[in-house]
Amino acid sequence: MKLVSVELSEPLPALPPCTKGVQWVLVKLHGTPLGFVRTPDAGCGPEGLRALALEELTWQIARRYARPEPVRRPHPAVSMTVAVCTRNGARRLPACLDALDALEYPRELLDVVVVDNAPVDETTRRAVEGHSRIRYIREPRPGLDWARNRAVLDSRAEIIAYTDDDVSVDPGWARAVAEAFAEEPHAMCVTGLVVPDEIDTPAQLLFERYGGFGRGFDRQVFRVAPGESAMRRFGGTGRFGTGANMAFRREFFAQGGLFDPALDVGTPTNGGGDLEMFFRVLKNGHALVYEPAAIVRHRHRRSYEDLRTQITNNGIGFFAYLVRAARIYPEDRLAVARLGLWWMWWWHARRLLRSLVRPSAFPIELILAEIKGSCVGLKRYAPSRRCAAGVVQQFGDAAPERTA
Amino acid sequence: MSGPPAIAIRTIDLDGAVNAIDDVAAFCRTRVFVSHGDELIGSVDIENTFAPISATRLSDAIAAGLWFQIARRKADPKATSAARPALSHDIGVSVIIPTCGRPEDLRRCLQAVEAQRGTRPLEVIVIDNRPGPASPTVAVVREFEHVVLIEEGRPGLSYARNAGFAAASGAIVVAIDDDVIVPAGWLERLVAPFARPEVTAVTGHVLPVELDTPSQCLFEAYGGLGKGFERFERDGDWFRSRRVAVPTWLLGATANAAFRAEVFADSRVGMLDEALGAGMPTGCSEDTYLFYRILKADGTIAYEPAAWVWHRHRRDLAALRAQIYSYSKGHIAYHLTTLFRDGDARALIRMFYSLPRTYLGRAWYRLRGYSDYPLSLIALEIAGSLAGPWALWQARRRVRRLGPGARRPAVAEIGGKTQISAAGMARSA
Repeated sequence: MKLVSVELSEPLPALPPCTKGVQWVLVKLHGTPLGFVRTPDAGCGPEGLRALALEELTWQIARRYARPEPVRRPHPAVSMTVAVCTRNGARRLPACLDALDALEYPRELLDVVVVDNAPVDETTRRAVEGHSRIRYIREPRPGLDWARNRAVLDSRAEIIAYTDDDVSVDPGWARAVAEAFAEEPHAMCVTGLVVPDEIDTPAQLLFERYGGFGRGFDRQVFRVAPGESAMRRFGGTGRFGTGANMAFRREFFAQGGLFDPALDVGTPTNGGGDLEMFFRVLKNGHALVYEPAAIVRHRHRRSYEDLRTQITNNGIGFFAYLVRAARIYPEDRLAVARLGLWWMWWWHARRLLRSLVRPSAFPIELILAEIKGSCVGLKRYAPSRRCAAGVVQQFGDAAPERTA
Repeated sequence: MSGPPAIAIRTIDLDGAVNAIDDVAAFCRTRVFVSHGDELIGSVDIENTFAPISATRLSDAIAAGLWFQIARRKADPKATSAARPALSHDIGVSVIIPTCGRPEDLRRCLQAVEAQRGTRPLEVIVIDNRPGPASPTVAVVREFEHVVLIEEGRPGLSYARNAGFAAASGAIVVAIDDDVIVPAGWLERLVAPFARPEVTAVTGHVLPVELDTPSQCLFEAYGGLGKGFERFERDGDWFRSRRVAVPTWLLGATANAAFRAEVFADSRVGMLDEALGAGMPTGCSEDTYLFYRILKADGTIAYEPAAWVWHRHRRDLAALRAQIYSYSKGHIAYHLTTLFRDGDARALIRMFYSLPRTYLGRAWYRLRGYSDYPLSLIALEIAGSLAGPWALWQARRRVRRLGPGARRPAVAEIGGKTQISAAGMARSA
């Protein structure tokens, strides 16, 4: 069923019986997301839903009521580029673009671009044509990080926010991102909450059980102290969020560099570009903010095969990122090795042993798929760099001109 | 020995605005003491890593750390101090401040104490424990019109405080140290529990005014001087119900405490034991033993966290080590005193079972990595404990040589209950 979002301070809706998958409800209080509740399959009325939310989210509600109202910093109008990087995604784009059109943000400050990455046809261009306020850019070099970099070079805004083509942004998403940057002037990156758009199939529920993309409902600020090792402290950057909901100050790319084109989808590494950039923000001594008020809805893979591919790619991407970190930062090699081994034990071996002792609903096959991906990922970064070099040879390294 | 990094100390009142904290760029961590009206409800630590703390982050941290305390106060309107009975305003108070060659601390302390003056008769007595022609104390006291100076030449904090207790004319006697800073409204909050007749003594909270040096942070990690943000009371029933030694050291300290004056004239309680306390080989525990005697005489001790003072912990590690060593010595001296003076066999359990177990537990935690409290300080505490009996014997010999300290006249001599006398107040007015 499609995820329903409710506001506790307003009258609640009645939920119809659940016809497929499960019904999750995102509960907000005064605009702040508090958590999920799962409603009974038979549906429930407004009173039942309220009782359920009060019972399951008691502590979060109490905390929200106890929270003193902060005096936020004055929030200057800040320009923002929202970039959707896609490849042959015309089928997924309409919902994504409709949501972007509905963003509550001053239009003169908002620049929405769709970066079409090495397309095989014109369907994406045609999908964008119906939206007068959304620009279309073509990036011929194959690889998600080429497309992300293209958005950086093309933008003149202060903030560049990224989302994916299988995502519908919340109307308040851009505003929440901008406010997070205004509140934390030393933050170079803001990530947000990714909730499932629908839970219709078993694979979609499995993905949420695996951990999903959500990173909780507590706003957090991460930063290393001078002299502290970012790799030892925050090396597992998957905890900060995902590329479907991340934003950077544009000035960061000038000093911290662009996304590594040898990483992420479209290259042999199949992922890790976002994880690596989160790490680079912290490594350079900047702050990273996780802001759960910046919400996007992600349509999880519907089929089991796609889920398995995605989980395998998670393993590949994470270890490709670690290999890159070890190559680029010699001082972090020991910390990378520690993290890699610890991850193998803490995430892989422990889950595997537990599922052998006590079989759970999460298939062993998926755990093995991620372990396999992790091993593969160790060997993927070097060939991926050669691919990226080949792309440069083929297309030239010159930054394309900014499109009008 | 390298200690923990500096921690910034800030305060915020929830009745006011929750603003960003921008001036903590020199600190990795910030401890924010949160008050609501005139009461402290708790503290939160924020790891700000040398960056300002935004108002949103501060609010979130307060909600996460103190939501229960805040919700409870919202649910219970009687939780405010305004709803509790206040002490009648014609009852006089004497504030006793012993000092010994620390003019800057004393001046800062006296300024804050003088700012407490309201309608209540207030007498402020400074006891110079190192008098002489070169004593800087005289000049400082002379700056304050209403402050009385008493000289007590016999070295020892208990001698000094007893001289003050004996000279005090107020019905309530308040003891503070010269290195504390009292916030506005502190005195009224400290004496407020005396509105209830059963309360014999009140202790208050002691907070660190700064945690700039490793030694100051370590002292807070050691336990600090505060006893938490929750009110509690201890009485004779608690004293008798304990099968192990009564932990009177958890009740507070004379760095911030108040007593009914008549307890000093009560033969079951008496004055501070001169053999205990700073300036003596035992180093401390004179207040702990006084609390012990009060509870034994069926008195009630109330802990009032709303009456907090700021204390500047020793800044250098040598002073910290000396302090922790003497705390351990004094702790054993206290137990030996309760054993020999009061025949309290529970002290034996403490000295030979629970205290060694505490030290071992602390070392175990350190070795397992659960805490970062240095092993060298644990060793120092053990050494101090072993030196305790010898220190007590030395102190007793010294007290025999110097003679007993000042005594408060027996109640009968001044006719009935100790009341604030017109003559007494004339001295301060």
